[in-house]
Amino acid sequence: MADPAPRPRLLLLLPSTTYRATAFVEAAHRLDLDLTVATDHANVFASREPDRLLTIDLAHQERAVREARAFAWQHPVAAVVGVDDDTAVIAAAIAEELGLKANPLAAVRAARDKHRQRVLHAERGVRVPESALHEVSEPPEAVAGDAPYPCVLKPLCLSASRGVIRADTPEQFVAAHAALARILAAPDVAALGTVARRYLVERFVPGPEVALEGLLVGGRLQVLALFDKPDPLDGPTFEETIYVTPSRLPWAVQRAVGECAARAAEALGLVTGPIHAELRVGDGGPWLIEIAARPIGGRCSRVLRFGEGPDAISLEELLLRQAAGLSIETVQREAQPVGVMMLPTPRAGRLLGVNGADAALGVPGVEGIEMTVYPGQRLVPLPAASKYLGFIFARAETPASVEAALRRAHACLTFDIEPE
Amino acid sequence: MDREIRIKAEPIDTERCRFVVSEPLLEGGARRFASAEEAKGSPLAEALFGIAGVTEVVVTGGTVTVTKDNATPWPVTGKQVGGAIRAAFAAGGPLIAEAAAVSSEDDERLYGRVADLFEAEINPAVARHGGTVELIDVQDAMVLLRMGGGCQGCGMADVTLRQGIEVLLKKRVPEIRGLIDVTDHSAGSNPYVTASKK
Repeated sequence: MADPAPRPRLLLLLPSTTYRATAFVEAAHRLDLDLTVATDHANVFASREPDRLLTIDLAHQERAVREARAFAWQHPVAAVVGVDDDTAVIAAAIAEELGLKANPLAAVRAARDKHRQRVLHAERGVRVPESALHEVSEPPEAVAGDAPYPCVLKPLCLSASRGVIRADTPEQFVAAHAALARILAAPDVAALGTVARRYLVERFVPGPEVALEGLLVGGRLQVLALFDKPDPLDGPTFEETIYVTPSRLPWAVQRAVGECAARAAEALGLVTGPIHAELRVGDGGPWLIEIAARPIGGRCSRVLRFGEGPDAISLEELLLRQAAGLSIETVQREAQPVGVMMLPTPRAGRLLGVNGADAALGVPGVEGIEMTVYPGQRLVPLPAASKYLGFIFARAETPASVEAALRRAHACLTFDIEPE
Repeated sequence: MDREIRIKAEPIDTERCRFVVSEPLLEGGARRFASAEEAKGSPLAEALFGIAGVTEVVVTGGTVTVTKDNATPWPVTGKQVGGAIRAAFAAGGPLIAEAAAVSSEDDERLYGRVADLFEAEINPAVARHGGTVELIDVQDAMVLLRMGGGCQGCGMADVTLRQGIEVLLKKRVPEIRGLIDVTDHSAGSNPYVTASKK
C-alpha cells in the first residue's frame, strides 16, 4: 500500500508581539495542519523542532524571504500566511519567491502603504478623502497653511489609530504635528526607516465609521462581517472602542459599503485572503478610509464564528482553510449579534490592578474579558498608545443590547493606575 | 459556608472555558473527567456533567476547565458552571474524590516518563526565557500542565506549547494523546513577550 500523501505544510508568520498567536495556532491544531510557525524571536524549542519552529527576520523582507526559501528547500511549503500588515507583505513576498498561489506582492505592498493606496484608489474612482504626503521634517507652519480643514494627520506606518490626530485650525495642526513627531521619533517607530518620517494630511470625513471584515475568493469579495462603531470617532484622537455586528445601518448603505470595499480591493489588485477595511458613511455614501490585506486586529476576532452550531468555525480557521486549500462550508457568520470593546487607556501611568471584573462578567450578554496588560506595566493613552488595555466580548439578542452590555461591563471596571 | 466565592471565566474558544475560583477546589494535583461515569463520587464534577453539552472537566487547585460540544454561548453555560461550583461549596465536604483512586497504572508509568522529560529537557529549555512548566498530572494519557514565570501570560505561550512541548512529548512518549494547559495566563506578571498594536 502506498504511503499516505503528506499533509500540506503551512508557514505561519507570527511576530512575537502579536495578539493573535493563540487563535491561529489553535485553529491550525484543530485542522491538524502540518504547521511551521515562523517568528522573529527564537523560540526555546526552535533548535529541537526545526521543521515546526523557524526564526526569520520579519523586520527585513529580503532576509526573511531568503530564510524562508532555505527552509522550504528542506521542508516544502504549500502556503504562507501573515497575520498583520507587515507579515502580510512578507508572506506575499515569500509566496512569490516559492511560486505559491497568493496575492500579488505589489498589491499587498500598496495596501500596506497608506499613501500609495490613496493614490491608486483616487486614480481608479474609489471615493477617498483628499490627502497629501509630507515629510515630518517639513516646517509644520508651512504645511498647516495648505491643509484642508478639518483635517487629520496620519502616520504611514502605524496601526490602530496610533499617531492619528485631528486638527481644525493651523494652530491645532502645529500642535498635532509636534505630538506626531514625538511618536515617530520613538525607537520602535524610528527603526522602521523612511516610512516613519512621512505622514499624510487628509480631509476629515464626518459621519459614522464602520469596519468591514472580508474574504477575497478568486478576486470576489465575500463580506464576513460589517461592524458599526457606535462611539463617535470625531477626534482629536481616534480611539477604537466598541465594534458591533451586524450593522444597524440601512441595508442599502451596507450594500454600498460592501461595494466600495470590493472596488478598493480590486483597485489594489488584491485577489485572495482576508481584508479589513475602515469606511466612513458621509455625504453621498461611503468613503474608504483605508483597506488592509489582513484580518481584524487585537483579540477582536474572538467574537466571530462562521456557520451555526457545534460545527461553527473561527475566523482564523476560515483563513487557514482557504490558505491550505481545504473546503469551506460557509462564510456566513452566525445569526447572533456580537460585539467587542477595546478598553480605552484612561490615563498614563503604571497599572497596579483592575477592579470590578467579576461584576463586569456578571452583566447579561458579556461573554468574557481579557486583559492584555499586566500589573506593573506602563500605560500610555492615545495618540501614542501602542498596546490595548484589554477586551470585553459580548453577544445578545440585538445589536443594541450587545452595545448596552459592553457599556455596562465597562462601567463596572476601574483601573488603579499610579501616575509616573 | 458564608464566604464569598469569586469566579472568573476565561473562555479559550467556543468549546473550552477556564474558570478561576477564589477558593481551593482540590488539595494538590489535578483531576480530569472525560465522562459523567468518571465523575461519579466527585460532587462538583457530577454537577458539571449535569450541564447540557459538557464533555470534559479538568479541576486543579484553583481552576476548572470545562469543555462542551454545543453552541450555547459561554455566558449561559458559564452561569450554570458558576452555580454548580457555588452549590458544591455550599454543600460542604470534598468537591472532588481522591485522585489516587482513579489513576491507572498506565498513567502512572506515563507520568514518570513525562516527568523525566520535563526535568531533563522541557524545563531547562523554557528556563532560558525565565519560564517554568509544571507537570500537574497525566490522566487518561492526557498531560495536565501549568506554565509559570516568563511563560505565564507570554504572547507566544501557545506556540511553545503546541509547536515545542507537545511535539517533543509525542515524539518521546507516543502514548500521550495531548496536553491540557491549566495556566491562569491572565495572572502572569512577568511574561517573556507581550503583545502590542501592529
